Amino acid sequence: MLPTIQEVKEKHQAAILKIEGVISIGVGLKKDKTPAIIVGLKQENQDTIRSIPSVLDGYPVEIQIIGSIKAQ
Amino acid sequence: MNSDISKVREILKATRKRLSDNPDVVATGIGYKIVDGKKTSDLSITCSVKRKLPGSQLLKKDIIASSVDGIPTDVIQTGVIRAFMANTGRIRPAPGGISIGHINITAGTLGCLVKKNNEVYILSNNHVLANENNGQIGDPILQPGPYDGGLYPGDHIADLYQFIPINFSDAPHKCSTVNGIAGFLNGLAKMVNSSARFRTYSVQAVDNLVDAAIAKPFNISDVTGEILEIGTIQGTVSGELGMAIKKSGRTTGLTTGEIAQIDVSVTVSYGDNKTALFVDQLMAGAMSQGGDSGSAVLNADNKLTGLLFAGSDSTTIINRIENVFTALGLSI
Repeated sequence: MLPTIQEVKEKHQAAILKIEGVISIGVGLKKDKTPAIIVGLKQENQDTIRSIPSVLDGYPVEIQIIGSIKAQ
Repeated sequence: MNSDISKVREILKATRKRLSDNPDVVATGIGYKIVDGKKTSDLSITCSVKRKLPGSQLLKKDIIASSVDGIPTDVIQTGVIRAFMANTGRIRPAPGGISIGHINITAGTLGCLVKKNNEVYILSNNHVLANENNGQIGDPILQPGPYDGGLYPGDHIADLYQFIPINFSDAPHKCSTVNGIAGFLNGLAKMVNSSARFRTYSVQAVDNLVDAAIAKPFNISDVTGEILEIGTIQGTVSGELGMAIKKSGRTTGLTTGEIAQIDVSVTVSYGDNKTALFVDQLMAGAMSQGGDSGSAVLNADNKLTGLLFAGSDSTTIINRIENVFTALGLSI
């Protein structure tokens, strides 16, 4: 059986979160409503973006610039 | 020159829209012109602006003419005009959505009422009711919060009863072996011509699920189960992708959004280089600002789905209510 998107995200999240500039990883929908692993960055940074795979175990990865997340 | 007030009214009526098109103008009206701080007997069209600047710092089109159809203008600085928000005032009985805070913090939001062992408690965040782990059980909770003028003992509404400690991530590690490994990985990163760097963390004993705390009201008649602009809670629901949600908070009042991500792991900043990793969070678009922390998040049917605690300019981060209830042993 293929792993679920949640399982794939769990498997890779520690490595993804270690990349400088990455602030979040979650499961969401792309504009076309298909599921994707969504990686949030503090700011636009081509080096960070290049370090993130575009596909993880068959699931697409989408990058979003979300800024710094602060307790409110 | 004294102008007839009815004539000034006519002129204001005719020019009001054009004056208000100026982005700095927040109000227009009729008043006696003030010269050198003294009120004169001349009627003027008074334009209130966010910030009064010399003409040299303004675009030509944004300079307010010294007179309009023969009536002098007066420009006064009033700042942005906001509706008086009940959310920052003192309210008894206190509903959800208003200012609250531990005696040593600024202010956050009273989320809602919850039950534990058949007693009623106020639910909000650890960083609102327990001062980021620094609070002691029994510490006074003020409504409104200290930043909004809440004072002890007059505004003392509840006592801190229980909180879930936040596990903060350590600052980048000093351990030479760990740094050695990071250095090696960073070296590799350099070799593949990337400036991405690997950071070193000490492993968290427990990943954070919630930023949550409860406080026991002194007097049950000082609180109400209502949430401002929302009403009463109709049970709970597990947050799902695409779910429409709303919250009522101290700073931005009633706002709505949609759950855009689930299973979110996110690094949250608590100021002064203090960060904490949270897992199993919900993420929505922008629907909150500082001071909204602790807001209850509900779906369209007023079912409670989360506890708001963090955000960026474009996102809002929400604890799942099931994790909050399990951690603190709560029910509705």
